[in-house]
Amino acid sequence: MRLSSRAAVLVVAALLLSATAITSAAAEDDNPYLPVAGGNFRSALPADGRPLHVPGFLLQRHPVTNAEFLAFLAGHPEWRRDAVPVVLADRGYLSHWLGPLEPGAASAAQPVTRISWFAAEAYCEAQQARLPRWYEWEFAAAASGTTRDARGDAAWRQQVLDWYSRPGGGRLQPVGGGPANYYGLHDLHGLVWEWVQDFNSLLPADADPEKFCGSGAQNLQQKDNYAVLMRIAMLGSLHGADTGHSLGFRCARDAGGRP
Amino acid sequence: MQPMRILVLCWLGWALPAAAELPADSLYQLRTELLTQEGTRQPLGMYRGHPTLISMFYGSCAASCPMLITSLQVYERQLPAAARTRMRVLLISFDPEHDTAPRLGVLAHEHRTDALRWTLAVAATDEARKIAALLGVQYRPLPEGGYDHSLLITLLDPDGRRLASTTKLVGDAQFETRLAAAADSAPR
Repeated sequence: MRLSSRAAVLVVAALLLSATAITSAAAEDDNPYLPVAGGNFRSALPADGRPLHVPGFLLQRHPVTNAEFLAFLAGHPEWRRDAVPVVLADRGYLSHWLGPLEPGAASAAQPVTRISWFAAEAYCEAQQARLPRWYEWEFAAAASGTTRDARGDAAWRQQVLDWYSRPGGGRLQPVGGGPANYYGLHDLHGLVWEWVQDFNSLLPADADPEKFCGSGAQNLQQKDNYAVLMRIAMLGSLHGADTGHSLGFRCARDAGGRP
Repeated sequence: MQPMRILVLCWLGWALPAAAELPADSLYQLRTELLTQEGTRQPLGMYRGHPTLISMFYGSCAASCPMLITSLQVYERQLPAAARTRMRVLLISFDPEHDTAPRLGVLAHEHRTDALRWTLAVAATDEARKIAALLGVQYRPLPEGGYDHSLLITLLDPDGRRLASTTKLVGDAQFETRLAAAADSAPR
């Protein structure tokens, strides 16, 4: 009798485990990690002025949604807005949700925003992933629908820039609404700002020399690539606990394995 | 009734300090682990209970990082001896590839840091990024090796709350005032 009840517990536990596995697999199916072949790249923020090599990596198809983040909170209650310490997420964290586990008017398919860097990083870690590094994000975001590096195309640049000049504060569109780029990725431009893992490495170009050591000079290149320069300036000005109405994220993995 | 009351009082007296939770604005809320110069693993709040100066660096930096250590020693030296003994100093490297525990030990020895009150430690790459984000330190690896990084010294109260910070290696009078007050008000 005792044995069989223990067996029943084991069966239930196994079912729960597989249910969890299915849920996280489902989350991955909804927002899969797509391969981005690496290559040499002229960054707008080169460390030494030379082209750099970006190794291949995987990036999620679209920004993480409210539904995906809600599923994460169920398993990680320490990141609920009523539990997280203010040093890891400011008071704006998920403040647009109706309750700690109720997105309310924030729809399932909208990108989740008002997320701190610490919370975004924790979400990705729970997926055996990480936030993309700046060079990875910039590399992926240089692609148009047809070419890997469309940054020389003035018409494409203008199209990207148009989004940045739109006033903020409007209702966010659902993810995947914009066209897919060369890699099949959506919404790198035109929907939300996105956290990168090394946001606190994008040293401001006008940094006070007394505050910095090391030999690398910060020289922003491609002065006509405003969209990317604005992103660098915005990310560089943030603190890890900051949140914003149009600041979201997506996760990445190394091409070879995880994360 | 009486024994019960005594029991409750004892329980309260015993439980309160143990249950003293970290404030929400304590930097020690970050669950992370450091490897110290002694080769032990410690939480970020290893000096909880003491006012603490905390900063980030990398050991193979030729110029600014030795200056950072000297700078911390100079700020400390301005405190009366009794107040200084209450202070702790935690220097965290973001270069786990080069800054091993023995290497940090050598650095500590070279700079004659007070081993009773100072710790040089290193964090794993991803953890260092989190600690930097918490403190507001900026750093980036350079292609030819080494790092660009901001110099930032932060003063924490005994519970890990930020009291003040400075980017000046010497002579920040306002920071000195905050430091003196923090060291003076700490429990003896």
